[in-house]
Amino acid sequence: MADALTEKGSARSWRAPRLTLRQREAIEAWLFVSPTVAGFLLFFLGPLAAVVYFSLTEWNLLTQQATFVGVKNYVDALSHNPDFWHVLRNSFVFAMGLVPLNMALALSLALALSRPFRGVIFFRTVFFAPVVTSAVAWAIVWRFLLQGEGGAVNQMLALVGIDGPNWLREPDWAMVAVIVTRVIKMVGLNMILYIAALQAIPRDYEAAARLEGASNWQIFRMVIWPLLAPTTLVIFVITMIGSFKVFDHIYLMTGGGPENGTLVLAFYIYEQGFKFFNVGYASALAMIMFVIVLVLTVVQMTLRRRDMQ
Amino acid sequence: MTSLTLRNIKKSFGATQVIKGVDLEIADGEFVVFVGPSGCGKSTLLRMIAGLEDITEGEIYIGERKVNDVQAAQRGVAMVFQSYALYPHLTVRDNMAFGLKVRKVPASERERRVREAAASLKLEALLDRYPRELSGGQRQRVAIGRAIVGNPQVFLFDEPLSNLDAELRVHMRSEIAALHQRLENTMIYVTHDQIEAMTLADRIVVLREGVIEQVGTPRELYESPANLFVAQFIGSPRMNVLPARAVAGRLAARGLNIGAAEGVGMRPEHISLTAPESGLLRGRVALSEYTGAATLLHVELEEGETALVIANGPAVPANGQEVGLEIAREHLHVFDKAGRAIRPLVQAA
Ligand SMILES: Nc1ncnc2c1ncn2[C@@H]1O[C@H](COP(=O)(O)OP(=O)(O)OP(=O)(O)O)[C@@H](O)[C@H]1O
Ligand SMILES: [Mg+2]
Repeated sequence: MADALTEKGSARSWRAPRLTLRQREAIEAWLFVSPTVAGFLLFFLGPLAAVVYFSLTEWNLLTQQATFVGVKNYVDALSHNPDFWHVLRNSFVFAMGLVPLNMALALSLALALSRPFRGVIFFRTVFFAPVVTSAVAWAIVWRFLLQGEGGAVNQMLALVGIDGPNWLREPDWAMVAVIVTRVIKMVGLNMILYIAALQAIPRDYEAAARLEGASNWQIFRMVIWPLLAPTTLVIFVITMIGSFKVFDHIYLMTGGGPENGTLVLAFYIYEQGFKFFNVGYASALAMIMFVIVLVLTVVQMTLRRRDMQ
Repeated sequence: MTSLTLRNIKKSFGATQVIKGVDLEIADGEFVVFVGPSGCGKSTLLRMIAGLEDITEGEIYIGERKVNDVQAAQRGVAMVFQSYALYPHLTVRDNMAFGLKVRKVPASERERRVREAAASLKLEALLDRYPRELSGGQRQRVAIGRAIVGNPQVFLFDEPLSNLDAELRVHMRSEIAALHQRLENTMIYVTHDQIEAMTLADRIVVLREGVIEQVGTPRELYESPANLFVAQFIGSPRMNVLPARAVAGRLAARGLNIGAAEGVGMRPEHISLTAPESGLLRGRVALSEYTGAATLLHVELEEGETALVIANGPAVPANGQEVGLEIAREHLHVFDKAGRAIRPLVQAA
């Protein structure tokens, strides 16, 4: 059969090489993925390897002198530099504040907006719009709204008798402000993911539970929430990674201040690398951040998997 | 033990009315089947009884109690969904115990009742499996088990067998019949498989576009359908309906006057073959379909209509052969202009 086909093929001027179907499929597959693989090697693995190398050197961008120093940069960060631990703490505070707030809000919005009603599209759009808004415009508007004297936020608080702080001028309040404004900006993305997941849950699940006497809370707790687990994991991981990588928002809102109160890891790396030109040190910091995010992700996935069993 | 009463039930989704006034009495312990074409409102009616859809107009009584404003969970009904609605993250045991758990039944009592239901449905070996680890028939049984565990007064089934293959369907059909005999509960069963309807039902309710066309025992619906729709919906292959003018003359010649009738119906299984010149009707075999047990003949009549005839026995006429068709007078169905059956069927001239 195969021979017959090859014979027929050879009658034409182009002769197919004698490859098995498997080999041919493998070649085709590699051809299809090669642009992505090339991009991955060139723009991801390459730079990653470079960062690993830089992190082991003392390299001054101005003099272009790179000296191999082993793990000195890591030791500096972890034991000699008090800034590093302060920055790391800030990053964790930012993540611990942002991730739960973002996810809780996203889920609440999704629960409210996953079923059709009049105006549902309008509300989804309203909550998604900030995601696609320019970070610059977002920050400018919020800096304006969060002004201590006469800022719109404080004026509103004054209406209910609260004397609002000067949000972006006090270290603790500045952290709260950057977290909340970041959540409002990004929550729409997770909301959409949750809406998609909720809509994939068959309606009969809820009907059956209701018929058996389950309350709304029981339906959520015993049916909806477990079925959302895979989505929750994905959302958790991407939100957490995003929160560790946050840069533009900090840069635009507070520049890491006041008193380094919002100086988070990604911003600190930027400062070390591109303001003070400590490229080696910055690279080591970047590697540390990479490891932290990796560990958190793996831990979460392992817990999740154990949970599933 | 519970009867059910529907009084002038109507349901609208927005501006479209899908149930247009349904009156129905269901006796305690009765097995009632809703049949009708797709979209006629069977599921909607069932979900209204369950309390999953609210009632636009009319009243539903379960036993003596009006349940219009009673929550689904308080109506004492259980429902088996077409999709089974088994939770993929819970084992068979936890699926079956779900309703007991949300009602805070103690764990030992839950376990006892689940075991009892599982035993009656031969599910004991499957209790620790997840739904994805079950075959279609097993899932079906778990869904029924889940309904039984709550000890409901009324069972509702919405096309519970439509996801199963033909053989399993026949098997589960008999299990459901056995279940009804054992529990003696009131059951309402939706299907559009008329064999299921005929075999399971004490009474069948034929629905069409949100209106009841006829309610009766399977035999009543088959032998004396109230109208053309029911006549053609019940029975397979469907009843032949010929224009009255095509047969009136010949019927008259035999002393049968069908008066103002518009259509005359004959079921394929009631027609017998005779010699061409001696039959009530005469035609030519256009197509014959051999099904094993019988042969389905498509006979082109002289009048231009096509009649389906079920021919039993080995001597089946060949394609193109002239045949005569004969039918006993008690098997004739006569319909007036509006499609209503005229009774008594045939008056003597
Ligand atoms: N939630 C809803 N909103 C609007 N229309 C609906 C809704 N549910 C059902 N309908 C409409 O009501 C009619 C009856 O639907 P229903 O599901 O009761 O039909 P059915 O007889 O069960 O059909 P099938 O045999 O296909 O299951 C259909 O025309 C359907 O489109
Ligand atoms: Mg239906």
